[in-house]
Amino acid sequence: MRARNPLRSAGSWVLLLLIVVLVFAPFYWIGSSSFKTPPDVIKYPPSLFPPTWTLQNFQKLFASTDYPSYLTSSLFIALATTLITVTLATLAAYAIYRLEFPGRLTILRLMVGTYVFPSILLLIPLFQVMVQLGLINSLWSLVVANVTFTAPFSVWLMRAFLESIPLELEEAAAIDGAGFFQTLGLVILPLLRPGLATIAIYTFITVWTEFPFASQFIIDDAKRPLPVGLAAIIGQYQIDWGLLAAGAVFMALPVVILFAFVGRYFVEGLTTGALKE
Amino acid sequence: MRWRTSFLAYLLLAPLLIWLAVTIAVPVGYLVYLSFTDMGIFGTSATFSGLENFKDVLRSERFWQAGRNTLVWIVGNGLAQVTLAFAVARLLYRRSALTNFLQVWIILPWVVPGVAAVIIWRWMLSSIGIVNFGLEATRLVDSPVSFFAKPSIAMATTIAINSWRWFPLLAVILLAALRNIPSELREAAMVDGATENQTWWYIVLPLLRPVLYVLGLLGTLWSANIFDVIWLLTKGGPSGGTTTLPVYLYEEAFARFSLGTSAAGSVVMAVFVLGFVMLFLRYGWGRELGGRR
Repeated sequence: MRARNPLRSAGSWVLLLLIVVLVFAPFYWIGSSSFKTPPDVIKYPPSLFPPTWTLQNFQKLFASTDYPSYLTSSLFIALATTLITVTLATLAAYAIYRLEFPGRLTILRLMVGTYVFPSILLLIPLFQVMVQLGLINSLWSLVVANVTFTAPFSVWLMRAFLESIPLELEEAAAIDGAGFFQTLGLVILPLLRPGLATIAIYTFITVWTEFPFASQFIIDDAKRPLPVGLAAIIGQYQIDWGLLAAGAVFMALPVVILFAFVGRYFVEGLTTGALKE
Repeated sequence: MRWRTSFLAYLLLAPLLIWLAVTIAVPVGYLVYLSFTDMGIFGTSATFSGLENFKDVLRSERFWQAGRNTLVWIVGNGLAQVTLAFAVARLLYRRSALTNFLQVWIILPWVVPGVAAVIIWRWMLSSIGIVNFGLEATRLVDSPVSFFAKPSIAMATTIAINSWRWFPLLAVILLAALRNIPSELREAAMVDGATENQTWWYIVLPLLRPVLYVLGLLGTLWSANIFDVIWLLTKGGPSGGTTTLPVYLYEEAFARFSLGTSAAGSVVMAVFVLGFVMLFLRYGWGRELGGRR
């Protein structure tokens, strides 16, 4: 192969640097702003590092919002949804991609169809369903809605993982006298772990960031999940940028921590699932 | 045996299918019903009003403005995200410690809640923000730019912010797709005298078609569906300039208290979306989904 053009190689380094700045600089800037004192935040020209470090924005965040209860709500909704989605989607994906039965393709198409349906259109009628079920203002209303938005895509993501498990393994288990649920629990599920992790993280992140349904289904301020609870400070404290920055940092922090542990597996799993063939 | 397999399959599918029936089929039915009534706020009485809502919606300038905005939104986001995603995927193609790190962490903007992204960018783009400082310091502008003041600028800004959130996801998927293509294919072509650019254009791009199909369909629907970032950045303003269809439907229902109109608008939007999906599937994507065991 011919030698690479040094000028072009320098050009791509510059381009890469620009994109890295575009992606990460906003996070640095909001983080550094959150540690500045109120006069330093609005100082112009702005200073790149906080001249004096302070935690007062975070103290104010905790004093003026119900951050701990928003966090609890978000965690509850995200964990419950993840548990239900992973269970339902795995069972359904096994049936669709592993078993032969009449109506398989129709059901698959319907499932994809539900994913394709714009979720915002369901906001009004689903509200009514929640009223009927007596779930308005209950965190369960959001669990119910979020499973609907995450399960169909999760089924589709599971395909590549299921197809990577040789059918012979199941046949061998059957010959050894294992029943279906034994095979599923002892042979399939352990091999599916990367897939299960992928859809679990996908679900968790989707739920963590969901806004429109959370903004309508929960009425009590204290029960609200994080994005909705903290969206209120945008309106109330329009120009208190230090406080808003602290809010953004504390909204992003939980998922960033999660991502630090599982990010690599998630990106691998997501691309495996999305790139079947 | 066959019978038992089928029974087992239905048994495994039942929980999810019932769940989706309750949360999608029933609501959609109810939505269609609502679209033929004059209901204003939830729980108020509704009387049958025939096609009135549909007439209102189709005659309303706000609805068509929202429709046009949605098209601009989808095309703008598509162009910005595809360009950035391709650039990133190509730049990260060669494996190194740096690209391995970036391959995971570049997705960060997509992982944080839209509300956090909105706070970040409103702060950076404010009149005393870092972006205006940079523009003034380099003499590109004389006075601070108001990024949300005029409809067209507000739309461009909102598209840029939303693209910042979403392009990393596309980039990561494209990157994996690129790496899935055996490098021998390109090397062989280069031995035969193709230039590097030619190998990308004539070998890699055609092989990416299945992925691009999937991303084209999903990406368009993801974009069309975006609500939170627009609502929190601009509330659809100024003068409706960033009101896309989801924002319009939300506004009708929860700010103007006209559920009937919102429901009728939803039905019309669902028809548009369905039409788009059918067109897309016609052009050969259906097979990608089929799945064989």
